[in-house]
Amino acid sequence: MKSLIATMAVVFLITFLAAPTMGAGWFWDVGNGIGFAAFAGLLYLTIASNRRLDVRAHQILGYAVLLLVVGHAFWFLLGDATVVEFIKIGAPDYMWLGIVSLILFVVLITTANVPDRLRVHQNYSSFRYWHRVLTIVIIAGAAYHIVVSNFYLGTWYQAALFVLISIAVCLGRAYWIKLGQIAIASPVVYVALSVIMAVAFTGLRNLPA
Amino acid sequence: MKIVLAAILTAAGLIIIFGSPIAKEKPVLGYYYESPVPILPMSFAHADHPTENCIDCHHNYNDNTGGGPCMNCHTTNQDVWPLFERQFHDLCRSCHAEKAVLGEEGGPPRHCIKCHLGDDLP
Repeated sequence: MKSLIATMAVVFLITFLAAPTMGAGWFWDVGNGIGFAAFAGLLYLTIASNRRLDVRAHQILGYAVLLLVVGHAFWFLLGDATVVEFIKIGAPDYMWLGIVSLILFVVLITTANVPDRLRVHQNYSSFRYWHRVLTIVIIAGAAYHIVVSNFYLGTWYQAALFVLISIAVCLGRAYWIKLGQIAIASPVVYVALSVIMAVAFTGLRNLPA
Repeated sequence: MKIVLAAILTAAGLIIIFGSPIAKEKPVLGYYYESPVPILPMSFAHADHPTENCIDCHHNYNDNTGGGPCMNCHTTNQDVWPLFERQFHDLCRSCHAEKAVLGEEGGPPRHCIKCHLGDDLP
């Protein structure tokens, strides 16, 4: 629980380091608040993975994170008819990377479940290796999508911090293992915390002047 | 779970092909502003921007980068068209964001559709 709150707090706090009251309207800010919560969930799933991992809890929380990732995408696609043009041929690379990350996340989840896992991977160590590699690729793609779209990380130090925490989470496994067993938060807690963070993110940026 | 994931991806594909079933207003790709390729309509209310310097947008009047309709270069020139989306969005957004930070009226545009309806504003 503490690790989840800390991860969420770090991700959202970085967005507030510069121009904390600048928003783009509740529609845009809610959708992106959901997106930041989804990204924090991805980081948390990675941090909380160690040798004594509760696989079932990890799996269920993965579904909850996917729910938010999909929620982020559909929020914009359904709410604003123009956004579709933003993900067609000719769309900026950061949008493509967001879509690629979403699809890879679906692949990651699908190929992690037995019996599909057994069809793809010959042994457990192969699965663990490729699960980790795919996770790093997904986080890298999602981080690129967030940083280069430049909506809330307008200063160089915000972008640098965001990249740094992404790299630290992806490559700092040796350190995360030393933290010992982290009890994976329940999906209800994660979604509730995400709602709180997204509401706060939107509210602070859209307060009347 | 696989069925749910397949349904989600199918729904996303249908929205991309046919558009949002619940969004009220939809932009129509077309050959606006004499663009040789289909683009989204755009709005810029000149009457609402009386203090802006014209050449901030119409830069070709003083930097000798060519004449004619903007879209001649911005959608076809191989040095410029890859920057099309970034240049036009940043041009509008940077000013609106600056105003929002200063607490002045006229914050960032809200929904994308607010600028991409292609109205007949002067």
